Amino acid sequence: MLLQMNSITKSYGNVTANSNVNFTLQKGEIHALVGENGAGKTTLMRILYGMESPTSGEIVLNGKPVTFENPTDAIRHQIGMVHQHFMLFPTFTISENIVIGREPSKGIGFDRKTAAMETEQLGKQFGMPIDPWKKVADCSLGMQQRVEILKVLHQGAEIIILDEPTGVLTPLEVKELLIAIKTLASQGKSFILISHKLQEIMDVADRITVLRDGKVTGTVFSKDTNAEQLSRLMVGRDLIHISRNATEVGQAVLDLEGISVRGSKTKPLLSDVNLHVNEGEIVGIAGISGNGQSELIQAISGLLKPDEGMIKLLGQDVTGAPVGAIRQIGLAHIPEDRYQWGVAKDATVTENGLMGHTGKHQKYGVLGGQGIRQMVSEWVERFGIKTGSLSTKAQYLSGGNLQKLIVARELAQKTPFLIAAEPTRGVDVGAMEIIHGELLKKRDEGGAILLISSELTEILKLSDRILVMFEGMIVGELNAAEATEEHISLLMAGGRAVG
Amino acid sequence: MDKLLQFGRSMLQPLLAILVGLAAGAIAIVIVGGSVMDTYAEMWKGAFGSFYFFTNTLSRATPIILIGLGVALAFRAGFFNMGSEGQMVLGALSAALTAIYLPGPGWFKLVAAIMAGIISGGIWSAFAGWLDAKYKMNLLITTLLLNYIATLFAGYIVSYPLKDRSGSAAMAQTVMIDKSVWLPKLFHGMSVHGGFIIAAVSAVLLFFFMKFTVKGYEIRMLGGNPLFASYGGVQRGKMMLLSMFVSGGFAGLAGSVEVLGTQYRYIDSALTSPGYAWSGIMATLLAGSHPLGTAVAAILLAALQTGGMGMERNTDVPLEVSSIIQAVLILFVSAKLSYSFLKRKKARS
Amino acid sequence: MDQIFDVSLFASTLRMITPILLAALGGAICARVGLFNVGLEGLVLIGAFSAIVGNHFTGNVFLAVLFAVFCSLLFSILFGYMSIQLKANVIVVGIALNFLALGLTTFSLRAVFNVKGAYYNKDMVGLPKWDIPVLKDIPWLGDVLSGHSPLVYLSLVLVVLLQLFLFKTVTGFRLLAAGENPTAAKSLGIKVTRIQYGAVLMCGVLCGLAGAQLSLGNVTMFTEGMTSGRGFIALVATMLGQSNPLGVAASSLLFGFMDALSIRLQGFALPTHFTMMLPYIVTIAAMLFFKDKGYMQEARKSNESSR
Repeated sequence: MLLQMNSITKSYGNVTANSNVNFTLQKGEIHALVGENGAGKTTLMRILYGMESPTSGEIVLNGKPVTFENPTDAIRHQIGMVHQHFMLFPTFTISENIVIGREPSKGIGFDRKTAAMETEQLGKQFGMPIDPWKKVADCSLGMQQRVEILKVLHQGAEIIILDEPTGVLTPLEVKELLIAIKTLASQGKSFILISHKLQEIMDVADRITVLRDGKVTGTVFSKDTNAEQLSRLMVGRDLIHISRNATEVGQAVLDLEGISVRGSKTKPLLSDVNLHVNEGEIVGIAGISGNGQSELIQAISGLLKPDEGMIKLLGQDVTGAPVGAIRQIGLAHIPEDRYQWGVAKDATVTENGLMGHTGKHQKYGVLGGQGIRQMVSEWVERFGIKTGSLSTKAQYLSGGNLQKLIVARELAQKTPFLIAAEPTRGVDVGAMEIIHGELLKKRDEGGAILLISSELTEILKLSDRILVMFEGMIVGELNAAEATEEHISLLMAGGRAVG
Repeated sequence: MDKLLQFGRSMLQPLLAILVGLAAGAIAIVIVGGSVMDTYAEMWKGAFGSFYFFTNTLSRATPIILIGLGVALAFRAGFFNMGSEGQMVLGALSAALTAIYLPGPGWFKLVAAIMAGIISGGIWSAFAGWLDAKYKMNLLITTLLLNYIATLFAGYIVSYPLKDRSGSAAMAQTVMIDKSVWLPKLFHGMSVHGGFIIAAVSAVLLFFFMKFTVKGYEIRMLGGNPLFASYGGVQRGKMMLLSMFVSGGFAGLAGSVEVLGTQYRYIDSALTSPGYAWSGIMATLLAGSHPLGTAVAAILLAALQTGGMGMERNTDVPLEVSSIIQAVLILFVSAKLSYSFLKRKKARS
Repeated sequence: MDQIFDVSLFASTLRMITPILLAALGGAICARVGLFNVGLEGLVLIGAFSAIVGNHFTGNVFLAVLFAVFCSLLFSILFGYMSIQLKANVIVVGIALNFLALGLTTFSLRAVFNVKGAYYNKDMVGLPKWDIPVLKDIPWLGDVLSGHSPLVYLSLVLVVLLQLFLFKTVTGFRLLAAGENPTAAKSLGIKVTRIQYGAVLMCGVLCGLAGAQLSLGNVTMFTEGMTSGRGFIALVATMLGQSNPLGVAASSLLFGFMDALSIRLQGFALPTHFTMMLPYIVTIAAMLFFKDKGYMQEARKSNESSR
């Protein structure tokens, strides 16, 4: 046995992130670690990588017990980790990013030429060719992922931890990555793969360990299991299938004509986007994140002025209008990134809930106290938001509870139109079900919703119509009934097909 | 009970800061060979020892409170307005010139002079806000540099075109303001004047404004997370101009009441050398931008300064000990900020 | 106009630029590790004062400069401790340190020299003037470039050294990495905190030198708050130069020239008030051409993403 993690327990105060977890890894094996958000996968791997120390338990490597004080110790023991958020330096070149920490030198000087040669050689050796002098900022996400893996290999890693490696990749890039992993494993490297995408795991892993609430609920060989069994192990029960009612589609609420946004780079961020959302329908926008979705959301909500084109909301021209005015006409907006756009972390739950509702709760510019607290406490009850009190600061709420607060706030605007961007990113299954249910309810009541998500399953589950974005353009429109995952994936990757 | 506990805890930090500041001052006193207890006793007497000294402290606190309030507002909105000095000087100059050269009855000139002070301080401050909103010029630095330009400009005005040439003294100053325009003294023979009432009322008003009005809410959210505010429909550019105008307006008001209530003319460097503006900023930092807290902190700093003067009069210990105490106070408070930050981090992980 | 733009103007430019340049280089190193050091003003002030103190007690100019460096170094450790260790808001710490520097120097001026406002002693010896052989015989150029204090030449050498250090050495590379993405650097086992401290200490040394040049090179005296905003002008020079030593040198040159010009113009008909405004006005005008990161990016950085 190459690696054994025995009875690992990690607690933060009253919260137990890992409880008595056992995990093993063989040489040349691909062992997947699955579980919901907050199940303790990342904590376990941070312990292995020396970023956290366990409360109790031991790590045995090649038969010898080891302790890691920091990542450097782990790297020295040939353990490498590719983080979910890439740990890259965008303004540095590819070779600089790979050799950092163990740079080839001449005296005190950094020998960049040798570094470039070394890294190019390394890429060839493992079948992942690169251009060593290219800046990482100019690379695709797939290439950045490749740089991350090469960096770990350059450090001499034998055990490689990959944390959600496919989240931001196109289906084609995912395929390439999985092949690369298999090749490396056949050369004797061992992999630990953290993921929640069951299909990929079934394809690539030899063994699968499932975590729930910090405990191991099962370790199985992938050839002996199936996706249903895994999801039962993950969730602890069968998922409720939300049924969708057919609704009458009404008039157009939102209408975009030829919207273009030129960026500072040569490629436009949005080019000639036409779309409309009608009463009583959810229009889903699928696409790998970074293909213009953020700009589209910002243009519609008034945060970004488009260079060309016209946006109409309820028949009124709102192109380039201020955010407040557009909200007044009838827009609510669940932002794509809750910490960046959705809350002020130092403000209380009530204060965060008040945003956009000030108009109703004021007289001559003075806020009326009780009504506000009552409004927010109703949301807390209805959505089951776990918070100490209404005066708790937003930063103390967990991601899922914060997201529920934001969703509640925006739904309470009772606007005819809603942007729901990544409405369930990083929330647990329970919160996800509540949020999905609320979105469908709004649709059934005649609301128009533009759903932007990088999770295909979410798009397929909720949308009536699906648009696919690629490099700032709408490259396909599909009816929900006839859309298949394969078809959308192809469009998302830029494969042009007639929609 | 819970609230009382919370209040007690929030008072603990500033009290601790004062203790540390006094300890540092004690070290300084020992260095120059003074007796710590005697010196501090003299200091206390100088600040609060008699009704006269107490009102003297309040009079000194007046401009510091007003400046502190303005800075607190800007800080709350997320703008580091370091330009209070220039804004105050321009406000004082405009108030003096209005009071001297505007025709009309005394009360009218008084109101007009105060308005002129607020407006000119506000415009000078909003100018920096405009440079940031329009040209993305770092507000902290522009406001700092604008200080030098404003004080030099005011210095020029009273050294050349509008210099008082009636007296024999070669001071750079305007002529005396007519007595009918003076802000009344609160007590006969004491230095504290009507400006203190204005400052106290302003502190209370600003407190309510920040806590209970829509605009106050928007300013706080803008300071908390500007992206969140703009997402919610708050227009940053407009808010920046507005809050910078009000912030500078407070500084201008501070200059005006100082001219109309104490100096009765604009004297070059009479406002800059006591360091009112910097004391105001210190008060804001000490109070964590809380309006009422800022007022209290301003009185504390003023007491340290007037107490320092008393100490210098009656002992051999130099006045500068109080600047040490003030500086250490601030330093300790910035450490306090980080202390609460650490707590927060712990709670999160 | 010939009388204004003569040889000695350019010579004094070189002299005036030195404190700004040294402080700006210090600011640039701090900026490179992600610390916006508003405390430059205070650091330089401490340096200027302690140079005079050192000179007074040792009578040796070299030791005086060393003492200035030492004191600024101590001060920068305080800055480092509060902003790196305690993770306090860097700007607040910088402002607080400026207060502390002003308070300490004012107090010590009184405690050490028993004077208020300014200290001057005609027996005090300033920094020596070096005549550079060969160079000094070249007409015009010799007059401009020769006959300055050693610190002037040191500052020019430091520009080149820092440029090489940052962009050609392994340590410099890691310093850039620590500033560009501290989390990533930490995950690779790079000692980010240690690098940040190193940068802050380097900044302390540079500011100490800047202060010494100010009080012992440009003049031979100390006046209360004698930096009069030079630390902030240095900060602008840092930003204009994109924290690049060569760029910082170029922008410092502009401000140093304005500083020298403002002093020169005082001899002419213009009121001194306006000539003294010149450096500040030019600095503000120069900021027009510098595109600040803008609040959007700042806010994005400070409000970490939920992804």
